[in-house]
Order: sequence, then structure tokens, then C-alpha cells
Amino acid sequence: MDVHHKIRQFFFPSITSKFLIRVSSVALSAYLFFGYLCIPFSIRGISMEPTYHNGGINFCWRLRYLFSEPKRHDVVAIRFAGSKVMLLKRVIALEGEKVELRNGKLFIDGRGIEEPYVRYPSAWNLSPRQVDKDCIYVVGDNRSMPIDDHHFGQASKSRIMGVPLW
Amino acid sequence: MVKVKYLCIAALMVILGIVIAITVFPSEEKRVKKQFRLLSGWVSKSTEENAITMLRRMKDIGSLFDAHCELKVPDQPLSGSYTREEISTYAGSARSQVSQLDLKFYDLQVVFPEKEVAKVTLTARLTGRSTAGERTDETRELECLLRKIEKKWLFSQIEVIEVLKK
Repeated sequence: MDVHHKIRQFFFPSITSKFLIRVSSVALSAYLFFGYLCIPFSIRGISMEPTYHNGGINFCWRLRYLFSEPKRHDVVAIRFAGSKVMLLKRVIALEGEKVELRNGKLFIDGRGIEEPYVRYPSAWNLSPRQVDKDCIYVVGDNRSMPIDDHHFGQASKSRIMGVPLW
Repeated sequence: MVKVKYLCIAALMVILGIVIAITVFPSEEKRVKKQFRLLSGWVSKSTEENAITMLRRMKDIGSLFDAHCELKVPDQPLSGSYTREEISTYAGSARSQVSQLDLKFYDLQVVFPEKEVAKVTLTARLTGRSTAGERTDETRELECLLRKIEKKWLFSQIEVIEVLKK
């Protein structure tokens, strides 16, 4: 088989039953993988700046917490009614912990916590509140925006869809 | 050969018949989803919308609601029961304050807990620009109850579900 024929065969393959089975299995695998396991999403909004930028593209890896629990500082995707629209947020407190923000600084159970991912100056104040059972407390990294314009708070663990791949 | 030809024609006619039947006699779930499509289209506003269209849209929006519709919004004074006319008026007033508005619904899950009652869980995203040029981008999970009254599915309750509790 000459090179020319091989190239032609690659771009214009003969429609055989073997070829059709191969194409169908690739299509089905891609549908299952990108539809349920590694969901592509685009980032809209500035609440996770500078870690994630508005307009960025990423994938939500759904198996991250199959055998583990979310930890503090993890970035997670929180679902609304389904997987079409999600919130990308940072876990700052876990169940049973008391979360507080004093002049932009995070306090968990009264202890100051370093947050290297918060790069913009913040003066947020949030009175102490306990995270309920089976819940996590999430906030975006961009705390330079007004606190009232920022969507944050306690979410049920069952709403965690996964984590961004990068 | 002739037999195969007739079989193909018969199969095509059956498929066509099924498609026509589905289109002409949609399922109750499709009828419910259609109401959301109508609401989305009528609430949305383009920059070129004139006063006549605006008045017609106000009336159209009201026609999708039951005589009394209950609105439940956590921690908001908006909660309460509204008549169809009040909804039309509020919708018109809100639409007049924006130059462009886009309402989209995602992940609609329809269940029928009782006869002639539909419960729909969905994500609603409202984006737009006020007449002063300020951008709006709000996403909420909603739980809606629709009742079938005189062969029409009408919104009778809308509840905003708190995904993140501050």
C-alpha cells in the first residue's frame, strides 16, 4: 500500500461495518465522558479572579469526591437545578466549623487562616456562623468586589458537582 | 427489490406518522415546558422593542399566571400572593427600566405530584442592561407549581430555592 493510498484511506475510509462500530463506540464514549464525567464549561463572571478569569474554559471532573471529602481551599463546582449552570467557588469552611471574616481575613473557629489565593485587597466582614451538617461554606477568590454583589454561603455537599480540572 | 422499496416507504410513513402525532398531540410535560418557553420569550426584551410590543408583552405575561400566584423568596419582602394584573403591571414596570433583557431556563425537571398539577424545578438566568447602562446577571434555582385550568397550564406558585445560604 503506497503512502498516497494510506492518506486517502485515512481521510476517506471505506464505510465497512467495522468502521461504523468503531465510530459509534468513539461517539458514545465521548458523549458519556464529556456529558457525565468531565463536563466542559465556560467561566462567566469575576468572582473567582484572579484564579479563574471571565471567559475561561475548563472541565468539571465529577469523580473527584467519589472516595474522599471536600477539603478547605478546594475549588468546587456547585450546581443549581442541574449541570447546565454551576457556581465555581472555594471551600473555606467544613461542617461544624465556625466561619468568620474580619476585615477581609478568614477565621475558622476563631483561628486566622492564610489564603494565598486571595490576591486583591478586601475589607469584608462576616459575623461568625456555624456550618451545618453535610454542608460546606464557599466563597469566591475575588473579595475586592462589594460583599453584597458576591454570591457566597453555605451549600449542601450534595450540590457539589465536581472540581475544575485545572 | 420491489418488496424492499415498499418496506422502506412503509417505515418512512410510520416514522412520519409518529412525528406528526408527537407534534400535534404533545405530552403534558411538553405543554408545561412550552409555558416556560413562552415566559422566557415574553419577559426577554431587545433594544428595538417599541411601546406597542411592550404593552402586548405585559398582557401576554399575565396570561401565563393563575388568578392568584404565590411568590416565595427567602429573606425578601417580595414574597406574597399576586394577582394576574399585578404581575402584568410589575413585569411591565420592571421591563421599562431595562434596555435589554434575556431570561433563560435550564435543566427543567417536570413531575406531576397530583392530577392537573405540575411541579417544575429549574435554573433561571436573567441577564440584561438597565436604561442607565448597568449590567444585571442573576441566576436562581426555582421551584414552580403549575395548575391545569381550562386546558392551560398556569403558574400558581414560584419559589426561589436558596442554593447558598449566607
